[in-house]
Amino acid sequence: MTAGNGRRAGSPYAPHTDADEAAMLDAIGVESVESLFDIPEEVRFDGEFGIDGMDEKALRQSLSDLFARNEDLTEFLGRGHHAHYVPALVSDLSRRSEFLTSYTQYQPEVTQGFLQVLFEYQSMLVELTGLPVANCSMYDAATALAEAALLANRLRRGASGHRVLVPAHIQDGRLGVLENYLGGSDMEIGSYPMDDGAADVDALTDLVDDETVMVYAESPTVRGVIEERLADIGDLAHENDALFCLGSDLVALALLEEPASVGADVVVGEAGALGLGTAYGMGLGIFATREEYLRQVPGRLVGASEDAAEKRAFTLTLQTREQHIRKERATSNICTNQAWVALRTAMHMAWLGPDRLVDLATDAVTDARELAGRLDDLSGVKAPIYDRYHFREFVVRTDQPAPAITNDLAGRGFAVHALDDHHIQVCITDVNADAADELVAAFEEVV
Amino acid sequence: MFEIPDDRKYLESHEWTTTESDTARIGISDFAQDELGDVVFVELPEEGDELSAGDEFGVIESIKAVSDLYAPISGTVTAVNEDLFDAPELVNDDPYGDGWMFEIEPSDADEFDSLLSPEEYREQTE
Amino acid sequence: MNFDQARFSRDDVYEPLLSEKDSTTVEVDSEGVLPDDLTRDELTLPGLSEPQLARHYTRLSQMNYSVELGPYPLGSCTMKYNPSFTEDVAADPNAAVHPDRSDRTIQGTLGLLHGLQEHLADIGGMDAVTLQPPAGAAGEFTGILVAKAYHESRNDDRSEIIIPSSAHGTNFASAAMAGYDVVELPSDDDGRVDMEALDAAISEETAALMLTNPNTLGLFERDIIEIAEMVHGAGGLLYYDGANLNALLGRARPGDMGFDIMHYNVHKTFATPHGGGGPGAGPVGVVEDLTEFLPSPMVRETASGYEQYEPESSIGKVHGFTGNWLVLVKAYAYIARLGDSGLADSSAKAVLNANYLASQVDLEVPYGPFHHEFAATAGDRDAADVAKRMLDYGVHPPTTKWPELVSQAMLTEPTEVEDKASLDDLAHAFNAAYADADEVLESAPSKTSARRIDQVSAARDPRLSWQALEQDE
Repeated sequence: MTAGNGRRAGSPYAPHTDADEAAMLDAIGVESVESLFDIPEEVRFDGEFGIDGMDEKALRQSLSDLFARNEDLTEFLGRGHHAHYVPALVSDLSRRSEFLTSYTQYQPEVTQGFLQVLFEYQSMLVELTGLPVANCSMYDAATALAEAALLANRLRRGASGHRVLVPAHIQDGRLGVLENYLGGSDMEIGSYPMDDGAADVDALTDLVDDETVMVYAESPTVRGVIEERLADIGDLAHENDALFCLGSDLVALALLEEPASVGADVVVGEAGALGLGTAYGMGLGIFATREEYLRQVPGRLVGASEDAAEKRAFTLTLQTREQHIRKERATSNICTNQAWVALRTAMHMAWLGPDRLVDLATDAVTDARELAGRLDDLSGVKAPIYDRYHFREFVVRTDQPAPAITNDLAGRGFAVHALDDHHIQVCITDVNADAADELVAAFEEVV
Repeated sequence: MFEIPDDRKYLESHEWTTTESDTARIGISDFAQDELGDVVFVELPEEGDELSAGDEFGVIESIKAVSDLYAPISGTVTAVNEDLFDAPELVNDDPYGDGWMFEIEPSDADEFDSLLSPEEYREQTE
Repeated sequence: MNFDQARFSRDDVYEPLLSEKDSTTVEVDSEGVLPDDLTRDELTLPGLSEPQLARHYTRLSQMNYSVELGPYPLGSCTMKYNPSFTEDVAADPNAAVHPDRSDRTIQGTLGLLHGLQEHLADIGGMDAVTLQPPAGAAGEFTGILVAKAYHESRNDDRSEIIIPSSAHGTNFASAAMAGYDVVELPSDDDGRVDMEALDAAISEETAALMLTNPNTLGLFERDIIEIAEMVHGAGGLLYYDGANLNALLGRARPGDMGFDIMHYNVHKTFATPHGGGGPGAGPVGVVEDLTEFLPSPMVRETASGYEQYEPESSIGKVHGFTGNWLVLVKAYAYIARLGDSGLADSSAKAVLNANYLASQVDLEVPYGPFHHEFAATAGDRDAADVAKRMLDYGVHPPTTKWPELVSQAMLTEPTEVEDKASLDDLAHAFNAAYADADEVLESAPSKTSARRIDQVSAARDPRLSWQALEQDE
């Protein structure tokens, strides 16, 4: 590390000169920095971590080398986590340090910019869901689903009922998180079966009863199937005084039935499909609901108000729901959330505008249909296996063992996901669509 | 010095009640509204609800705080001050008048005797 | 220092909303794509050009205060400088992979995660670390679930978590979410754990005691060894809230103090940007006996490379995938840049800065000796008003009116990144605001983009979307 300007080795981000440090110690009235630490001798750490600091250039090279160990595969992967092309406007403007290096807007007078972006994000979700209240983020789709179940449970307030019904086809992480979030209550999770890849509504009818507090359905499902009977599922939930929670994602919401019109009480799902990229599974959870549940909403809400100059201004509001005021009785423990991801997602949605957003969603249906058709033409391959409409992705059945096929495809530069011995899931978006021809060719070679 | 009318009884948790045996009116004290600051939201019971003394009957929220509300006496809720839903500030402006919360038909008039008198309540707040 | 924040305005609004700049309705024509009844009829969103959007967001950015604009001494938030290079590292296209990729094809990604697991374990004195929790509160929840799984594995049914009244609100909420009753512990007169009250609170129902050390007044819990013995003696576990770890880097480790579980707020201690309220990351470290309960997957190194695995008695998942990857990359890069000497220097300078700043402000600091942060009292002034006035002097104010132990508290954490001149500016802002007349305080701020905002009407009449604003008109 360099030691110019009288600075000593240490943190490159602590700017003290020796003279400043001496003057500061003098002002405090102590001899040394060490004497400021009131740590008993027996718990002092005098060892080393063995981490050698590196200069910026060498470190960047080292990390670049490390990441280069990731194989350069064209990914046709989805299953609840999707990436679309992120325009430079988003990566560029979201990195402006005024946004990136600010904190939660506890002083709204100096943070109007971020508050307005979050307000606009909430508004876009209101448009896409048809529900009037959207918070400014959850961690991801899984935790948003879990929070919806907790909300459903709070609404019951000790009345009978403790079961949440989820589809048999659900991403592992979503189910796992739901189990953990419900572990602190007396709630349990039930699963309803699928019929040709979509909810088996007859079976669901038999399962929903007055013990049910919430019915969860997804469209598209984790296997890419567009659910055709959402309104029926919503009715079933409501007839039994349960909430209907719908899982989706922002792009799908631009094309598919508006959640409010099929009776959704809460909409959850993944918003990071816009603005974030794959990011190894990092997400942005959607949470939107009806006005009547406003005071049960988890997380942050930005509202409009007025300032002393009588101009419209924005502020975090209804904070009495939150942990810093209500402690153990808060609607959730969430504090730090995904605000900056919401900013990126809002920018991406604004960049697309309604035309291109609808086009993107339409392509997700037609591209998936076309790719499935081309794979289906190969011998030893059936695609899609469900006779349903699909969004972005679909399941392929292969006569040959699926794990071997995915291995062979990796060798040819493609990543797809083997669901089991003879099923592979394939996902197409604007990121990988250009490589669809090559994928089909590679498939043909390996099946 | 907070206003503490002589014609009512009080709870340690700052609710007041009038003492008519047929219909008693319930709200929160001047001291309580001052402690809370600007009230932004009040959740009240519904007409017909049966309450027991000490039951949580609702919630009151300001910007920085939230409090549960407790029923001073048992009985059946006969009326609710719906004005508070649109104008929760009435609790601040007039806690003993227009800021009342609900009316109850007491099931046991003897319960009034166990509540704090205005003098006892004043001592508590000082 | 003079300060005037940018202020774009038009009529009775500041920068107009996107929806006020354009509103375009698109009819959704799904012919040949999907049956009509499966699609929405139309979609209304702003349809603006890229140049218009660039200007919109750049203007909004200028109406936003940040660490790169000036001091941001929010107590317990550790708003330190976020090194620029970490953004470049996180943006490496080779690092952008899908979570369903097979281990063999993402050795770089797994290598970084493994390295961060190891570094954090060393820094905290823990035996294993999960990186999955996406924020500090999620880390608390994860840690408490691990404690619960540990007790249950021993058929030891416990129902209570003890938490000091001065703790972060998330501690209470996380314990409650995990199904525990919260036992609140009062502070002693010196601002630390009240040992008699602790003795009375501990029982065979105690699943864990959650502590922040230094606590939220910046004070080191000197009796920590005795506290650990008391909790362990009753069969409970000791949980460390890592919000204040920046004070101890390289000088003391939670594991050496007897803590069994801890979370790290990497967006505080390890300088990843707060991004206006997240994303953060809240990795959780545990001692040997608890490693089998950690969430799945973990990363380990084998002869043939890195692989993910499920711990033997894993609690399962706390995030849909593996957490906030981009944040973890930046944290790793920061730790690797600083190394041992840089990390130890951070805590040294953070504590030096807090003590120097306190020596320069006119407000009383009732509790000490403090470390990286101090709770000053605004006395008979309203701390929130003093804070609003500080904005006019070009600095962000401290956390106000918390912890409640100090009346009119101003909890101040300057972090190590401020130099003496900057701390002097901050002290000036404190002192000038504190001395300003009541009417000046009450009408502050005036140099910010917006003037004092009416919180009451925002909450009484919630308008949470542009649709709600349009309805109002």
